[in-house]
Amino acid sequence: MIEVTGLTKRFGGAPAVDDLSFTVTPGRITGFLGANGAGKTTTMRLILGLERPASGTATVNGLPYRRLERPLTQVGALLDATAIQGGRRADQHLRWLARANGLSARRVGGLLDLVGLGEAGRKRVGGFSLGMKQRLGMAAALLGDPEVLLLDEPINGLDPEGIRWTRDLLRSLAAEGRTVLVSSHLMNEMAVTADHLIVIGRGRLLADAAIADLVRPGGSLEDAFLDVITRSEA
Amino acid sequence: MNAIAAEWMKARTLRSTWWALGVAVFVSLGLTLAGAGTVVARWAGVAQSPDQTAMGIVVAVYVGVILAQLPLGMLGTMTITGEHASGMLDVTRTATPSVTRILLAKAAVLTGASLAVSLLIAVPGYVYGRFLAADHHPSLLPAQVWPVIAGGTLMIVVTTLLGLSLGALLRNGAAATAALVAIVLVLPLVARMLPWGEVANRLLPAIPALQLIKQMPPVMPDAAAFAVLGAWGVVPLAIAAVVMRRS
Repeated sequence: MIEVTGLTKRFGGAPAVDDLSFTVTPGRITGFLGANGAGKTTTMRLILGLERPASGTATVNGLPYRRLERPLTQVGALLDATAIQGGRRADQHLRWLARANGLSARRVGGLLDLVGLGEAGRKRVGGFSLGMKQRLGMAAALLGDPEVLLLDEPINGLDPEGIRWTRDLLRSLAAEGRTVLVSSHLMNEMAVTADHLIVIGRGRLLADAAIADLVRPGGSLEDAFLDVITRSEA
Repeated sequence: MNAIAAEWMKARTLRSTWWALGVAVFVSLGLTLAGAGTVVARWAGVAQSPDQTAMGIVVAVYVGVILAQLPLGMLGTMTITGEHASGMLDVTRTATPSVTRILLAKAAVLTGASLAVSLLIAVPGYVYGRFLAADHHPSLLPAQVWPVIAGGTLMIVVTTLLGLSLGALLRNGAAATAALVAIVLVLPLVARMLPWGEVANRLLPAIPALQLIKQMPPVMPDAAAFAVLGAWGVVPLAIAAVVMRRS
């Protein structure tokens, strides 16, 4: 469960996140939609305690992220998959991360297989494609078997097979009762992946509804999204 | 402890760590051995006590040890600027939300690494020095050598930690290295030419360190020299923790 209440963050001038409130509930995939610069990444960083809000709160399982014990066992996050030092091997990256939260390194080999890196897990990350880094980032997010997953554009750079694999994985994670918040600007992908949508624009909440309620019969999510955006600007 | 273990794993899985440690040990050890040879050769025909001989060897050795401070200081900056440059610091912070804990874990690993380097230079240097000076029958480790050992060791640990602090504050490897060289090497020389330089120099790390390893006449009590030197390890680290927590 992720709860965001009155969250506001400014970088100098206009607020990047503006009095934002929403709840992400377990057992379904919640899509986090917004145009470029709408504040999706900033919101996720605020939830993860990587930024300090000007006001408002964000909690995960009832606690601010910074107060979680061994946070990787409760929250798995994938922000920028390319934000990783290239000199280490993929398995070494997962091992230090596991060690940081006192997790056993036993899951590392299995996770590398699960995300389809397999043998590449013994190679340096510097030589990885964006898609491979996304897969490694997904493995890192799953490392602590967390209840809550926060994924920022996880399918960027993935091939069609990787996109389908990610979609199936997210569905199975939600089906296990986990909380899954996944941001994307790819409407078609969200339409087939998410159960519920949170739409933001200029840092404000524009919509928080089930996909079925947002999309008119015969219409596309893209139309519905642009509709919501236009209404908000009118 | 988890954070320290993770930082140690991070450090040893990067080749740059081993390059920095390798350069630190081999260059300084080479110079230490050569320096010990020169110093001992000067004692030919000079009568001196076993304690004086042991002291002479230890001083020569620790002059060599502090030569390792630049590669180690750069290792200190790299452990944090590498994460700033790649953005991986965010991953570190999701695993360990307290930046103070991250900095302390890095500091612990760097302290261990610099202690290991100092011993890898000092022990062979000392054994070799005793071998060369065998005719003078040096005593083992008389009381007077311990401030030298402590001072030289503290200097190398402090420079490594100062590298970390500057890296955390400046977030850029080149800028942090330049600042480190300025504080440790350049400013003490510049200060000698300035009106208040003598006072300023007592507060910079170089002069207290050189006093402790007997490379210049004392300008302050040894306890003060230890305090100034130690402060350069602790205070910038505390400032870095406060600044990082605010961002």
